Amino acid sequence: MLSGKTAVITGCLQGIGRATLDLFAEKGANVFACCQTSSADFVQHLEELSRKYNVKIIPVYFDLLDEAAIKQGVKEIQQAKMHVDVLVNIAGTNIDALFHMVTMEQLRKTFEINFFSQILFTQYITRLMLKQGKGSVINVSSISALDGNIGQLAYSASKGAIISATKTMAQELGPKGIRVNAIAPGVIQTTMTANLPAEAMHRLLSRSDINRVGLPIEVANLIAYLASDMSNFVTGQVIRIDGGIG
Amino acid sequence: MLLKNKNAIITGTNRGIGRAMVEAFAANGATVWAHARKETEEFMGDMEQLAIKYQVEIIPIFFELTDYEAMKQSVKKIMSSKIPVDILVNNAGITYNALFQMSTEDNLRKQFEVNFFSVFLLTQYISKLMTRNKKGSIVNISSSAALDGNSGKSVYGASKAAVICMTNSIAAELGTSGIRANCIAPGITETDMLATMPTDVVKLAIETSDLRRGGRPSEIADTAVFLASDLSSYITGQVIRVDGGIK
Repeated sequence: MLSGKTAVITGCLQGIGRATLDLFAEKGANVFACCQTSSADFVQHLEELSRKYNVKIIPVYFDLLDEAAIKQGVKEIQQAKMHVDVLVNIAGTNIDALFHMVTMEQLRKTFEINFFSQILFTQYITRLMLKQGKGSVINVSSISALDGNIGQLAYSASKGAIISATKTMAQELGPKGIRVNAIAPGVIQTTMTANLPAEAMHRLLSRSDINRVGLPIEVANLIAYLASDMSNFVTGQVIRIDGGIG
Repeated sequence: MLLKNKNAIITGTNRGIGRAMVEAFAANGATVWAHARKETEEFMGDMEQLAIKYQVEIIPIFFELTDYEAMKQSVKKIMSSKIPVDILVNNAGITYNALFQMSTEDNLRKQFEVNFFSVFLLTQYISKLMTRNKKGSIVNISSSAALDGNSGKSVYGASKAAVICMTNSIAAELGTSGIRANCIAPGITETDMLATMPTDVVKLAIETSDLRRGGRPSEIADTAVFLASDLSSYITGQVIRVDGGIK
């Protein structure tokens, strides 16, 4: 499904990013696997993927709060001289706080990681894509951007900004052959939702059609579809993957 | 091979998007009941060569969508084959462009009969079969006209909007029975239906779109494969626009 493609994926350490990394390797893609810091486990996992699926998996480390480190990461990707076909912006943070309680510092930090750094990184990577006149960018938003969510003022707004940016990028880059789409996951079984109080979980799932949480692999499957040629005529869209909550 | 061991009913398969669907589904390993209104030698030959090319079974079925008795008989035949139905793609549809104030009652009824009432009825029958097996995926072809409100499309758009509404309710009611239901909203797609639209309208829509071109039927079919397959297991009650970013 993705053989011959090279993807840059952020947030590869765990959760949706990890599931996406593993799936892309399985489907035949080479991957620049980005995460914040190196670890023996992570490096070993990448080597195993590379061996098992006969693809190139190259780690790239940078802190999304460090503009210079992002620039350096992009340099490393450029120097590998592999044409980049896909960018998946998964890395993100969530700081729960009610609207009247959220501090400006929390708000700024959330936007730094979830929005500003992603825009910067996407600017760089799509410039590389322009060279071959084809590419696919997938941004991870959230149903909380579309529906709002108690305790997620900062998170939902930052993910909402991603949606507007996605549509604008799609319009500007479309004529140059680059598609840009966003996905809006619902409640997915990751560390981000591990501490969701039972009452909040129940409130969300009671609105869903299939009444269960989603698995990271299910989100990865949607990302793979948007990365592949199957979605060649899909751009500027926000696709909800939420078991029918909305 | 995203649809190996899956059995799909697709309506309106003699040309356009429906024909592309049969090919895409067959290429992905599905057994297909390929519906058309009339049995012709040309259609039979075409389905046969697809079946040979992709080494799958393609079973032609024929009925007029507005002939509920014939529809019932075809569904009975499918049931008696004892082959479980995993996927239903409601693709067949008609259009008749007319400005709102010029639209006739006859064309209002005809488009709703084919585009909505027949879809409703067929989906009632097939979803019952699906609930017995506690699994299934329903993919309904709506249109960007249902969402955007285009000149000349007040009837067509409304009939396709009804499909969206119905699909979302089906998703809500049957979700816990293992059945997903989603819509695809194509935009400007290169089919016979496109020829019924004024060329200047089509030109403008393409020029102001993100990808600056019309879509190929195969590109709609690929998204149908995605929604029919287990890749979309957590996606239900959605409308996916496959429209090159038209505004």
